[in-house]
Amino acid sequence: MQTTDQGITTRVKEVITARSNGALRSTAQPHVDTLHFTIEKKVLPAVVDGLVHELQARFMTSVGTDKRSLTGDFGISHLFSLDRDHIYVIIESGVSEADLRIDSITPIVPGANWAEREFRDAVGVYPEGHPDPRRLLLADDWPEGVYPLRRDVPYNYQPPPAEHARPELRPPPPGTSVLPIGPFYPVLEEPTHCRLFVEGETITGCDMRGFYNHRGIEKLGDSVMTYNQISHLAERICGICGFIHSTCYCQAVEKAAGIEVPARARYVRTIMLELERIHSHLLWLGIAGHIIGFDTVLMQTWRIREPVMWISEEISGNRKTYGMNTIGGLRRDFPDDLKPKLMEILAVVEKESIAVRDAIAGDTTLLARTKGVGVLTNEWAKKTCAVGPAARASGVAIDARVNHPYAAYNEFRPRMAIQEWGDIWARVLVRMDELLESIRLVREALAAIPAGPVCAEVSQEIPPGRIGVSVVEAPRGEAVHLVMTGGENRPYRWRVRAPTYQNLQALPAMIQNETIADMPITLGSLDPCFSCTERVETIDRNTQQVRVYSRTELLELSRKKTRGGGMR
Amino acid sequence: MTSWLTRGLPLCFLSVSLVLLLSPLCEGILRKIRAAIHSRKGPPLTQPYWDLLKLLGKEDLRATSGVFCALLPVLTLASVLVLAMLVPLGTAPPLDSAGDIIVVLYVGAMSSIMIIMAGFASGSPYAAVGSSRETMMLLSVEPTLAVALAVGAFKAGTLTLGGITEWQVRNGPSISMAVAGVGFFIALQAVAGKLPFDVAEADQELMGGPMIEQSGPRLALFRWAMWAKQLVLAVLLVELFCPWPHFGIYPLDLIATALKALAVLILVGLVDVVNPRLRTDQAMAYYMRVAVSSLAALAFAFIGK
Repeated sequence: MQTTDQGITTRVKEVITARSNGALRSTAQPHVDTLHFTIEKKVLPAVVDGLVHELQARFMTSVGTDKRSLTGDFGISHLFSLDRDHIYVIIESGVSEADLRIDSITPIVPGANWAEREFRDAVGVYPEGHPDPRRLLLADDWPEGVYPLRRDVPYNYQPPPAEHARPELRPPPPGTSVLPIGPFYPVLEEPTHCRLFVEGETITGCDMRGFYNHRGIEKLGDSVMTYNQISHLAERICGICGFIHSTCYCQAVEKAAGIEVPARARYVRTIMLELERIHSHLLWLGIAGHIIGFDTVLMQTWRIREPVMWISEEISGNRKTYGMNTIGGLRRDFPDDLKPKLMEILAVVEKESIAVRDAIAGDTTLLARTKGVGVLTNEWAKKTCAVGPAARASGVAIDARVNHPYAAYNEFRPRMAIQEWGDIWARVLVRMDELLESIRLVREALAAIPAGPVCAEVSQEIPPGRIGVSVVEAPRGEAVHLVMTGGENRPYRWRVRAPTYQNLQALPAMIQNETIADMPITLGSLDPCFSCTERVETIDRNTQQVRVYSRTELLELSRKKTRGGGMR
Repeated sequence: MTSWLTRGLPLCFLSVSLVLLLSPLCEGILRKIRAAIHSRKGPPLTQPYWDLLKLLGKEDLRATSGVFCALLPVLTLASVLVLAMLVPLGTAPPLDSAGDIIVVLYVGAMSSIMIIMAGFASGSPYAAVGSSRETMMLLSVEPTLAVALAVGAFKAGTLTLGGITEWQVRNGPSISMAVAGVGFFIALQAVAGKLPFDVAEADQELMGGPMIEQSGPRLALFRWAMWAKQLVLAVLLVELFCPWPHFGIYPLDLIATALKALAVLILVGLVDVVNPRLRTDQAMAYYMRVAVSSLAALAFAFIGK
């Protein structure tokens, strides 16, 4: 665990005390790297301004909590990261039921746009002065005045069916026409609705309506499930970076409860996290190729990726959704006899990835499609609080593995891949560098993995009222989980913010004045993950298959089906 | 007239039926090659035939009413088949007396224009964007095609395709015709709707562009027309710019032409599979450069090379 410099703690306290002008109610340090301040809501903009401009704090997310049973009002927390100083700062203000308004911080931090709209939808606290206070999270037919994350709304509440429900759409500017991308669009595997305002082929603006996948996972977490069940729910937030979400959730609870995770578990988590990054980046490269019609890249990268999925299956029993994490460590140890095999696979993946990288680097057509296209300037990346490769490709040096080391990243510092131009090609380069860096990290972790237990004894009840903030660098950027512990063996509030949530907010700036043809690849270059962002869960319940097929048999079957339609 | 009935008419039938029957097979071979480069097994060679059969058996759903719109798929395929009869296939074109290179240029553009109209008529914004892109591509590619054919006409001193082929066979390769041939090949890539120039259909951006609203038998006819067109243009390329070896024995020449055309299509397929898609403006700029470069062929022709 890293230590926090006392100097910076004092400095943060000084700035907030000065800016709050006597309205600072309480100061706490729930964890060595987390500072928690409670202020009166009237000084919120001043305090946020001080944090952002004096301390260069980066906005992460906002949390709206119905605390009426605890303190009598609603708690609105804004979470910031002081990246260079490795600490989180939580600014909380109470909002009483009599006056459900709070000053919006979006004018100061444009990246807080969605987060503020989300707490408006979820707990009904209205951000005053917000530039675009339309509905974000809730479905169009959801009734007004029902705020699902309030404690008095049951998790299985069913609103009466509504008729004529429509999203609030922004009218196109004069002289432009609307080209809809979505809700279902062939290059996007998930639904989102982006209305492009175009003049001829040039995009002059856009309007987005998403969250078609929202299924209320946070509500399930604080009303139905228990601490140990939630790690499995968290893993199902995303089909690609599931382990990242379950690790992030477990770490948040572990931090809140003060549980020390055994070293071996931290190493295995590191290995699995990096394996996820390896296969996710290869997957992304394939999809990016596909979007610009380069299917050869898609087919080849996915072939290279496949052995990583197979070894994950050998380690955990599953290609994806490993189910290995639990509070306090792991439910399943890493089998040591798989080490040589994993090393071999890494060698092959490394060799073939380098071959692909060199091939695409020399492809002039590909460069013509990606260089100077979809540019996210450094200034906008910071304003919209973009994260991950999207931020690093624009010269913003943030990486949760370095800024807030977790698992075993204190022992193996990753080298941050930074590019300056902020175009799609820069994002390609960042991801290719990270892919190779991940291979190095897995190798080092494998070589140094200690023996020992993989799960800490958790004998005591997790005390209520504690706060844990955890950040994990997913392939798309940092995932943030915030847990406030509660009674009944479950969190009082569990907040999830996926990386795409921030990156999508940067999209309008990136596609401005681009052509329609560049829109899909620009969106694709963010590696958007809507299910993460919208916290969905899908379960396939059709197959109650008893027969066990081997991989070869399955391959043969699927080929047979393609050839002759034999299984229909 | 009687001589045309005994020679031309059977040849017409032969050209049309060969193009109709063999073009899906060529498409099947192209799919196999693409699969091989993708490290896939790929669909069986006969898959395009089954695709056509399946689509032809489906219900005819139309996005728009109107007799002309209903006839567009038929007219598209018909225009390609007329083109097939104007192109030499192992021997002089069956309709040589009816059309020269100017007619070929017009008839060749007809199918593209039909597809553009089908796109605009279907009312989908994606089809409209696709059709306008197709128009821009057509305008960018035509100059190159025209220059390439003009070089042949200039060298051979005749406007008929049969005459140009005959002259080529007699005189052997020349620099100007080789340069013109390369220009024609590059143009073929776009006319056949292959990457990096398939901006009009652009599956990932426009979901098929002009074809988005087409389904069932109508889609089958459009598909068939496009496969037939790529084959006919490949035949035209080899007959005009590479008619050697010429045996003088019709069946042998027919087989040689077919094999050479397949080789050209495979080359087109290879370029397709190793390239991403250009943007429309980039593709147009590219063809402008090609058109200007192909003027070099005319210059060579003037100095007799």
